[in-house]
Parts: sequence; structure tokens; C-alpha cells
Amino acid sequence: MLFLKSMPVIASPTHYIFQIVRAGITFLACTQVEMPPLMGIEFLCRVADILSDYLGELNEDLIKDNFVIVYELLDEMIDNGFPLTTEPNILREMIAPPNIVSKMLSVVTGNSSNVSDILPGATASCVPWRPTDVKYANNEVYVDLVEEMDAIINSTKQFSLLHARFRDGVLVKCEIYGEVQVNCLLSGLPDLTLSFANPSILHDVRFHPCVRFRPWESHQILSFVPPDGQFKLMSYRVKKLKSTPIYVKPQLTSDAGTCRISVMVGIRNDPGKTIDSIILQFQLPPCILSADLTSNHGTVNVLSNKICTWSIGRIPKDKAPSLSGTMVLETGLETLRVFPTFQVEFRIMGVALSGLQIDKLDLQNVPNRLYKGFRAVTRAGEYEVRS
Amino acid sequence: MAPPAQAHRSPSPSQPSGKGEVSDLKSQLRQLAGSRAPGIDDSKRELFKKVISYMTIGIDVSAVFGEMVMCSATSDIVLKKMCYLYVGNYAKVNPDLALLTINFLQRDCKDEDPMIRGLALRSLCSLRVANLVEYLVGPLGLGLKDNNSYVRTVAVIGVLKLYHISAPTCIDADFPPTLKHLMLNDPDPQVVANCLSALQEIWSLEASTSEEASREREALISKPVIYYLLNRIKEFSEWAQCLVLELVAKYVPLDSNEIFDIMNLLEDRLQHANGAVVLSTIKVFLHLTLSMTDVHQQVYERIKAPLLTLVSSGSPEQSYAVLSHLHILVMRAPFIFASDYKHFYCQYNEPSYVKKLKLEMLTAVANESNTYEIVTELCEYAANVDIPIARESIRAVGKIALQQYDVNAIVDRLLQFLEMEKDYVTAEALVLVKDLLRKYPQWSHDCIAVVGSISSQNVQEPKAKAALIWMLGEYSQDMQDAPYILESLTENWEEEPSAEVRLHLLTAVMKCFFKRPPETQKVLGAALAAGLADFHQDVHDRALFYYRLLQYNVSVAERVVNPPKQAVSVFADTQSSEIKDRIFDEFNSLSVVYQKPSYMFTDKDYRGPFEFSDELGNLSIAAESADNVVPAQGVEANDKDLLLSTSEKEEIRGATFNVSGYSAPLYDSSAASVQSELAIISSTSAGSAPSSSLAIDDLLGLGLSAAPAPEPASVPPSLKLNSKAILDPGTFQQKWRQLPISLSQEFSLSPEGVAALTTPQALLWHMQGHSIHCIASGGHSPNFKFFFFAQKAEESSNFLVECIINTSSAKAQVKIKADDQSTSQAFSDVFQSALSKFSV
Repeated sequence: MLFLKSMPVIASPTHYIFQIVRAGITFLACTQVEMPPLMGIEFLCRVADILSDYLGELNEDLIKDNFVIVYELLDEMIDNGFPLTTEPNILREMIAPPNIVSKMLSVVTGNSSNVSDILPGATASCVPWRPTDVKYANNEVYVDLVEEMDAIINSTKQFSLLHARFRDGVLVKCEIYGEVQVNCLLSGLPDLTLSFANPSILHDVRFHPCVRFRPWESHQILSFVPPDGQFKLMSYRVKKLKSTPIYVKPQLTSDAGTCRISVMVGIRNDPGKTIDSIILQFQLPPCILSADLTSNHGTVNVLSNKICTWSIGRIPKDKAPSLSGTMVLETGLETLRVFPTFQVEFRIMGVALSGLQIDKLDLQNVPNRLYKGFRAVTRAGEYEVRS
Repeated sequence: MAPPAQAHRSPSPSQPSGKGEVSDLKSQLRQLAGSRAPGIDDSKRELFKKVISYMTIGIDVSAVFGEMVMCSATSDIVLKKMCYLYVGNYAKVNPDLALLTINFLQRDCKDEDPMIRGLALRSLCSLRVANLVEYLVGPLGLGLKDNNSYVRTVAVIGVLKLYHISAPTCIDADFPPTLKHLMLNDPDPQVVANCLSALQEIWSLEASTSEEASREREALISKPVIYYLLNRIKEFSEWAQCLVLELVAKYVPLDSNEIFDIMNLLEDRLQHANGAVVLSTIKVFLHLTLSMTDVHQQVYERIKAPLLTLVSSGSPEQSYAVLSHLHILVMRAPFIFASDYKHFYCQYNEPSYVKKLKLEMLTAVANESNTYEIVTELCEYAANVDIPIARESIRAVGKIALQQYDVNAIVDRLLQFLEMEKDYVTAEALVLVKDLLRKYPQWSHDCIAVVGSISSQNVQEPKAKAALIWMLGEYSQDMQDAPYILESLTENWEEEPSAEVRLHLLTAVMKCFFKRPPETQKVLGAALAAGLADFHQDVHDRALFYYRLLQYNVSVAERVVNPPKQAVSVFADTQSSEIKDRIFDEFNSLSVVYQKPSYMFTDKDYRGPFEFSDELGNLSIAAESADNVVPAQGVEANDKDLLLSTSEKEEIRGATFNVSGYSAPLYDSSAASVQSELAIISSTSAGSAPSSSLAIDDLLGLGLSAAPAPEPASVPPSLKLNSKAILDPGTFQQKWRQLPISLSQEFSLSPEGVAALTTPQALLWHMQGHSIHCIASGGHSPNFKFFFFAQKAEESSNFLVECIINTSSAKAQVKIKADDQSTSQAFSDVFQSALSKFSV
């Protein structure tokens, strides 16, 4: 997160520079006039997305190896400062991605042309996000609910001489940010209708341009002609959740230059599925000289920059994982005054913690034989426990 | 796309200059150029790739230009693209060689494949070589009529590029009207969008010189065009939607039905996945409803959720930009966001610039119902690892305390901060307790008890120390040890580095003396003596002042130094509401991110001295304008020897004539430059010769003042203004906020006007003589800002003017708002003629 220290919009004497950083690569755009800042930033994000889509991932070497593709893409995405085509499907028809198959072919045949000779029809089609001739042998559509839980947990602060701090955890804020991701592998021009069992819990929604607005407004039904392949159909927010799946109970006692720490982790509300990939991370306060930490489950690591990571994984059935140890404070400091914040990560497969449920998915204009799949996952987003 | 042209980069030892490689490439390309063997395209492609990657990492490969062009005869599209890219990058530095490429580009413009036609046309327009523009007109004309929309899209942007290379060629070829036709009729939305952006740019640039262009620009925001674009908005790409929405935000609807129609049509844009579209829509909503208070509030309610979602989704960069916009809305209408305060809670991981914005918003939305939670949350941050944020949050607690009526609980919290034994927390808290006591003197007993227990040795920061000393002086009657603490502080006078603290110490000792004379007398003597010996001028002067005051009369001194105080009810706000309104007017622009109105950072004059690097590029322009603008101080210096200099110049002219006559056959280019110099000299002398008999200031006016001056005399202004117009500042502000800008223009100021404008007052008197009254003015040379108003003679129709004058560039930027839009042009003429007559 260090790179975030610089602002996304920077002023220089002559130009204003927008920057975003993705995978260590800085994408810059500059302007000399007033303009909507989000237009610059969103466009850069789109460029980064499309490049990583084309090159598989983003790194300096990949970009250097593929200068020509990068130029070709930029050429179609922006002209004279105006964004043109940023729809991945159309771009893919104009400039073929350098995938493994075409690389193999070029080795075998010595022909490395990666451009289709025809101009994409979709530029003039009424459904600009969908290529015209899509054909699949097996027709499949997958709908994933991907949710992130953002939470802040602490208890009322006591600035008294009582240095023992035990906290049961007060839920200060708990929200879910979710996305409906669709992977659509369907032939022709399908028309889909997706409905939820409980759309009323959604607090705010944002849609992919393919979603028709009226059906949602009147019946909370998502009706759309999907783009081909993977895309984000909608994003939503669910406010004011009442509970979290796990608890983290930190306890810090300091006296005469040493601080004893103990952290307990356990399941608070069983979501019905396994909670895995539990990781606890916290920054030791700068006034701590050394720390000796051990746990009864999982592994504990303290890096040189005083970031401590406790990887728990799954919570075992027989015991509650706990971390304990002592820390030595700076000389001259009797008690600890600055307390660490614990950042928690976890993942629960098969459950959308917001409670959002997909009712049904209807398809029109599609072959009879097809497979529909639904999945859900909840992850910790900005989930923090203050000690 | 423009890869950096780094042709003049000096080779460094770590980076190979590529000289050997370039000559290698050159010979290889030469071999391939003539060959027609099968599979030749692949070898070419490898070579081209090498050239392109050299070019990208900054090696100058312009030397192979000729060979690249020779190799360009190919049907392979990737080769073509690479070749176009290369040519586009180097044509500007090799204008002669660029001519070579015209041929094959023009041929490609007629290719069967629309993709090649488009690409060729794009590259042709990207050459940026001024003397090749004649070759552009034909292909562009054809491109605009092409039956493939891709080619038309490219051609439209091509017209704009042509305009930037050579505006007259573009105008003469009648391209703008063609674009307008395309914009209103083309079936392809991208073509329409490109036409719109091209036309906006061309007409705004032309508007300063051509009446017709400014009319056309106005026509873009007329009802038929706006409705046409709105009806098609769903067809447009997300970026084009932003463009259209920006335009709609400028549109002024006739009645409220129209407003509601537009808002209903656009409501679903708020749910678009692209944040730029959402913000542009919000801007339209806010601007449309500005005059309808209750609807405006509903709009806030409606846009709240989308904005909050945008903040929590997307990358940190996006969230920050959205957050800045949210910030400005929260500051305008905090009560609407009061229930959403939890969204402004800081997460541990967020960068500090985000936290800072959030803290400001938390402070703003605090009210009776949520203060407890917010202050509790802020107290969490006080123990934060990030010290600047910890400080900010303590300040935020203080600000909330100052804006609330029920501060009971907050004062307790602040006092707890004092007990936290962290020096920066104590320091910030002390400053806050001082401010609190100034507003709520009734809390003094509780606070003093705690403050008294703080050892002054633990407080090092000047601001905090000053606050502590102030409290010691102010409440010395309640603090047992006050005189003795002050005494020990005075004893360490020499060690105290901050003059601010020493000043406060002097005053505190005085106050203490008035309340407890016997205990303080000795300290007072020591403090005054130390103050008089102080090397800091202010401290010395204050000590002397106190000393003489005490000598004169002790009770008078007490009345001066320690008068009975009234509680401060409102602390001065740091940012004026006028600036906030300006930023709000520029919603969804960079102004919001910078928290400054755009003129503060886009105006070159405002940005000050670092501008020179930019100006270097425009040296020729600067040189031209230099002899038009006569600097103010030059007026007196020049007038005496004008006659002399005229005759001298005559001589010089004669001399240069001879020289040019002599050397012309030898040096073509230098002769041309001598001639152009000559033209300047002769025009100066021609300008000064007849005027030597006239007034001096006219003399110096040269061409600039000569043009506007006769106009008011021959054409009397058609608009009659009320010479005794009255408008109170409140009404002015209200009107200024409500009315749209009906005219925005830039006038040149005559040099004598510039000379006269040493203070704002000079212009005020002058404009008043023309029935244009000033309501507010300010600034220092070279930047002045005025708000004027005027009323029509017969009716009470108002004109409001904002006029920003920069004397160093001799330009006045004028924004006119009018009750009656139709007369604003006439008023603008009156204003301009009045302004042009301004002189000493």
C-alpha cells in the first residue's frame, strides 16, 4: 500500500497528470485543461484492465515484449485525447490477443499475424458489447455472487489509568460490498433474466451497460443481453449487518516496560460452511523494540518492518486458536499508549453473507441443451479489529 | 497515442546509443525493401518490431526513415500499423522526409479494407507537419463521406487534428458545417460523439475571433441539439455519455417540466458501472435544480447512495476522486449526510490523504444525534500510529466541540487526551482547550484543574506552549501556582526559541500581575527586562510598550492588556463561501480534487513563476506581444526621448535597407529574417511618427488602443444604464449563484489602462462614470478581481459581472450574468467600451 502515498492527480507547472499504479507499473495521463477527473482515472483503469487481459498479467517485461500490441490497443482506445473503443469484445475482434495457441502457431508456421483481416461487425451493431458470431459447442452460464465484508470492531475506549484492555468487540460498522459476476459461454444472441429472492436488502446497485433499466425499476428483475465471457453484471451494497462470522479478541497489558499480548480467534456465528484462509495481520507500534510471539495454531511471522502476520487457516474443532507473547517497549516508556489494529482476512465458500439469494435465471434465444451454474463466496474486505 | 519523441536524448554509458544497431537495421531494411520474395513480410515484421522497440526505449531511429518508407509497400496490416506508428512519431522532426510518406498514405486511404482506410487517414492526420496540410483536405473530405462508420469516426477526429495544425485550412475547407451535419444525422453514435467533441473544441477556439463561431457554440447548448443528444444517450459509449452530460449541465431549461423530463430520462445513468458517467449525471442534476431548493435537496438524497457505493468500490484512485466530490457535497449540506456518518470512518489501511478528507467530513456531519459516536470514533484515531492523522483527529474533536451546544462529554474527552502522556496529543489538546475556553468560559474550572497539573517542561511545541501560557495568564486567579510557573518560564527566557511563546509570556505575566500583584511583581520586572533585551523586534517592542504603559498608568494598562472579554461565538472560517461556491459550480472537474476554483490553477498568471519553462516554448509569441504591451513603468521613462528615438530609427531603417539589399542574393534565409525585423521597426516608427504631436499615452498605445478607442465615439451604446442603480451585496450573491453565465469573454486592456490600474479603486471610479457599479474588489498587481453590477435605465433588469484583470498580460476575463439574457451581448459591448476608455 506504500505506493498510495502519492495523489492520483498531480499538478506540474504545465500539465496535470493522472496516475494509477497497477502491479508496479504506473499508468500516466496528462491534461492541460479542466476535465472530469474520473474520466481520466477510469480510462487509465480500463487501459490497465485491457492490457492485463491481453497479456495474461501485467509486468514490465511483458509490456516490453509486446510493445506492438500495446501500441495497437492504445491506437484503438484513444484518438487525439478522446476515448474511443474500450469494450474488450470489440477490441479482441480488431486485435487478436497473443494467446498460447497463436504463439504455438507462429512457431510452427512462421506466421505471426495477430490481426483479423475483417473489421468487427459489432462496431455498428446495436449490442456493442457483444461480438456478432459467437458459437459454443457446450452452452454454459455461471453466475457468481462475490461478496466482501467491510467491518470495524472495537469497544468503548477507556483512557483511564487502567491499562488492562480487554475487549469483547463492539461492531462499529459492518457492510457488504458485493458483485454479481457472470461467465457467459452461450451461442448466438441470448437474452437473460435474473431475479433475486430478496432484492429489497440491496441498498444501492450499479449495472453493466447491458442491463435494461425498466424491468429493474418496476420488478427488480435483471434483464440483459450478456457480453461474451466473463463480466461484472452488477455491484451492490448491503448496509448495517448485525453480526460477523468470526470474533477476534485482543488483550494487551503493559507494565514496567513490557507488554503482554494475547489474541483469541473463534467462530461467532457459524455460517454453515467452513471458514478458511484466516489470516491476522497487524503493525507493531514503533515504540516496541522486540516481540516474542507464539501461537497454539498456525504460524506467526514478524517481518523487519514490524508487520506481524498470523496465518491461521481453518479454525480447528477442538480448540480456539490463540496468539500470545511479550513485547519489550522502548527504554523510558512504562506503558503502551499506541495500540495496533488487527486486519483480518477470511474466506467462506458457498455463502453470501449478505443473505442475497438468486431466485432464478431464465434464458431466451438459446439452444435447449445448456448448463447453468451458481456459486457464492464471501471474503473479508476491509475488516479490522482495533485493540 | 503518442510515444515520447526522444530524438535528442544524449546517449549515456549505461544505455547503448544504438548507433551500431541503427546502421545495422538500415542496411537490413535496405535489402528487404526491393525484395518481393515470399515470406518477406515476416522478416520485415521482425525488423520493424526492433525499430519500434528501439524507438520506445528512447533510441533515435529517425535515421532509417527513408528505408522504412521504402519498406512500407505491403499488404500486411501489422506491418502497416508499425510503419504508421513510426512515421507518426518521426514526421514532425523530419518534415522533408515526411513528404515521402504522403504518397503511400494517400493510396491506403483509398484501400478496399475500411480498417486500412481508417488507419491510413489517422496516420495522415497525425503527421503534424504544417506544409503538408494541403494533402489532408482531400482524403478527409472523402473520409467524412465514407460508408463505413469506422472511417468516419477517424475522419472526424482528423478534422480536429487538421484544425490544430492549420486552422485556416480547416475553416476554408468548410469542415465544421460538415461535422455539424454529421453530428445531427449520422447513424453511428461514435461518429456523433466525435463530431460533438471536435466541434466544441473548434468553435470555442474560434469564438474569440468569429461571431459566427460563438453563435454556433451557443447553438450546441440549444434545446433541439440537447434533446437530440439526450434521446440517443443510451446508444453512446460511456465516454461519449460523459461528453454529452457535460454539455447538458450547461443547458438552461425553460421551465421545471423540462427539468423533470431531463432528470427522469437520466436517472438510470446513476446506476452506470462507470464512475465518470455517474458523476457527470450528478453534476447535471445538481445544476438543473440549483434554483429549486426543495428538489435540490431531494437530489442530494437521491445521489447519496450511488456516491457512497462508488467510494467503496473501485480502486483507491477512483475512490479518492469520488471522495473529493462527496466532500464538497457534505460541506454544502452536512445535515443530509448526518445519518451516513459511519461511511466516513477511517479504515486503518487507507492512505492519509483519504483519512484527512474523511476527518473533515466527520467534523461537518456531526450533530446532536451522532456527536457521541463520532467523537468516540475520533478518539480511537488519537491513539493511531499515524501521528499526523492522530493530530488531525484531535483537532476534529475540538472543531466539533466548537460547533456544538452540548459539549459536556467532549470536554471530558479532551481532558482525557491531556492525560494520555503523548507529547503531540497533549500539544494538540492544549491548543483546543484554549479555543474552547475562549468560546465557553464557563468550563474554565474543570479545564484549569487538569491544565494546572501539566508540567510546562513536557510541552515543547510553540503553539501548545503559547496556549498553556495564555491559560496561565488568563486564569491566574484560579491557578495556585500560576505566578511561579510563569517565573520559572521567565527564568528560561534565553532558552526559549519561539518568539511567539515569548510574546505570550510577556502578556501572560502582565495579566497575572494585574490579578496577583504582590506575587508577580518580581517576575514582571524580570520579564520586561528580558523582553527589552530580546533581539526579536516584536518582542522588544511589546516589552517596551508594556513598560511605558505601566509607567503612564497601571489601571489604563490593565484596561488595554486585560479588558473584560466576550466569549467568541464564531471563529473565522478558513475558506470563503465564495470560493466554495465556485468549486461547486465546477463540480466534476479537477477543481474539486484540488479544492480550488479552476482559475487558481489553470490560469497561467495565477500559477506564478514556475511557468517559465512553458513560456520558453512560446518565445516567438512572447516577443511579438512584448512590443504591444508597454510596461507601466516604461511610460515615464520613454516619453522624453521619443522624438529622438524616432529619428534614430529612421537611420536604422536606412541602414538595414542597405544591408538587406546587399546580402539578399547571398543569404536567403537571413535576408528574410532581416526583412521581418524591418517590418517591425517600420511599424513602430510609423506608429510613433504621427503621434509625436499627440498626447504621450496615445503614443505608447500603438495599435492596441487605436482600434477600440474610436468605436465608442462613433457608435453610441445601444443600452442605457441606470446611473443610480442599487443592489445590496446579499442580493448580488444570491443572483450570482442562481443565474447562469450568459457571456464569458476576454478583453484586451489598453496599455494606458494597465498603467492606471495600480489600485482597484482607480477602475471603480472610472466604471461608475459609465453607470457600472462595483460591489466588491480586491487583489494586488498584477492580478485584480472585481464584481460589478449595472441596471437597465427603464426597468430593474440587472447585469452582474465578474472581471479578473491581469495587468502583466493586459487581459481582462469577464463573466457576465444577466436577468435578461438577450441583452447581455449589448451590455458586454457597453462594458468593453467603458473598460477600453480607462486610462490615467
